[in-house]
Amino acid sequence: MELTIALALNGIVWGLIIALIALGLSIIFGLLDIINIAHGDFFMVGTVLAWFVAETTGNYWLAFLIVPIIGFALGALIEYTVIQPIKNAAALSIVATFGLAIILQESVRATFGATPERMLPPIHDTIPMFGIEYEVYRLFAAAASIAAIGLFFLFLHRSKLGTWMRAVRFDPETATAMGIPARRIYLMTFAIGFAMASLGGVVAAPITTVYFEAGVDILPFCFMAVIIGGLGNLGGTVAAAVLLAFFEGVITSFTDPTFARIGSLCLMSLVLMIRPHGIFAGATR
Amino acid sequence: MLELRDLNAHYGKVHVLRGVTMHVEEGESVALLGRNGVGKTTTLKSVMGLVPPTGGSVNFAGTEISKMAPHRIPGAGLGYVPQGRGIFPGLSVEENLLIGLTKTPPSHITDYVFDRFPRLKERLKQQANTLSGGEQQQLAIARCLVMQPKMIILDEPTEGIMPILVKEIRREIAAVRETGVSILLVEQNIKTALRLCTRVYLMEKGVIVHEASASELENDKETLHRYLGVTV
Repeated sequence: MELTIALALNGIVWGLIIALIALGLSIIFGLLDIINIAHGDFFMVGTVLAWFVAETTGNYWLAFLIVPIIGFALGALIEYTVIQPIKNAAALSIVATFGLAIILQESVRATFGATPERMLPPIHDTIPMFGIEYEVYRLFAAAASIAAIGLFFLFLHRSKLGTWMRAVRFDPETATAMGIPARRIYLMTFAIGFAMASLGGVVAAPITTVYFEAGVDILPFCFMAVIIGGLGNLGGTVAAAVLLAFFEGVITSFTDPTFARIGSLCLMSLVLMIRPHGIFAGATR
Repeated sequence: MLELRDLNAHYGKVHVLRGVTMHVEEGESVALLGRNGVGKTTTLKSVMGLVPPTGGSVNFAGTEISKMAPHRIPGAGLGYVPQGRGIFPGLSVEENLLIGLTKTPPSHITDYVFDRFPRLKERLKQQANTLSGGEQQQLAIARCLVMQPKMIILDEPTEGIMPILVKEIRREIAAVRETGVSILLVEQNIKTALRLCTRVYLMEKGVIVHEASASELENDKETLHRYLGVTV
């Protein structure tokens, strides 16, 4: 029972981190119609940069400030050089971002090496919860993810730039005719998506393995969250990520993690058969 | 105020606009009429930079705007009410209204707009897609007005509106015209176009084929029938 509680809690924590990453995937898909195969690698870059900052400065917390800024800049650069030239050929986006994923992975392998690294959580304490001793850092990771998700929604619904992003998503042509610089909004959206994934990487770095292929593991989960939540439905993506990770956590306590993933895929297939537009389709976007 | 000279536009390999030349004077209201698919909407979109012209020029208030970034054109004083209204459904009425502004508009502008469209004021926090078709059209016009344009381009503003509300929309456009704002109108409802505008261009297959005053055209049954297939 204790194992089930621990894995269920871990599932919720991971679900919140995944939600943060998958939100970036969802806004990029919703606004740019780009199926971003490299999104998991944006997360991986975040974990590696967090590890690098912690190793070189001795201060892990600094990564929370530095890494999302680097992620934003890299995202802007990639949008300008890779995404913009293929904007009107959505099918090419899969090939282009797949190539981008390989470039990111190999760049990390070439510079940081291929050896998986582990980081010690910056908070070592545990706290009694539901009859088990639970790591305080994981609770911090959950709180940080919730705060980042909340700030993102606040930005989307309360700032002019956020309103413009929502408008461009609905109708880029009319938005342009209203004076909105749609081209710049695309660039900002992609950059924000990268920044969010890299922030997810910073949060997750102390509780996961830091290595150049970490993004490959996380990408399918992000896609499942986006699909089950309803394509482009941001609230649905968050809910689906948390539910899926919780579900996998509980299953893992009884059986092999592979079966938990198979269970998730079955769940996704079921959702697609019953509600092809996702569980939360039709809810407020 | 607005002058199109030998304007050409393509959709891929299809040559849609074939040398459109027309003008709208300051304070004037002009209609662009023609059958479906002759290039009226493309003409308006080319003026707004949404369909980039492949030849010719578009001069607005002394500035060549055909080479401008499309999102800068509204800032030059050109408002646009697109076909189908172009309301952003997931945004509130207020967000739609202020979408083109980076600062809060002066109070006399919002007062003027809310005096003209009091129903919008009552529904500011409502999602725009919950408005009726007529209210959405009011919102599309109000959204232009808060940007204080020198000229408004309207693409079929009465399309899909209940007949009882068409009069209201017509009245609102007439009121805008009375404030000295120039108007370029594309409209399938010929009566509405002839009532609101003083001059009319007729278009066929991507070229302007006829120009006349609204009163002349109203009495020219043969031209109306030849180019529009209607009688008024």
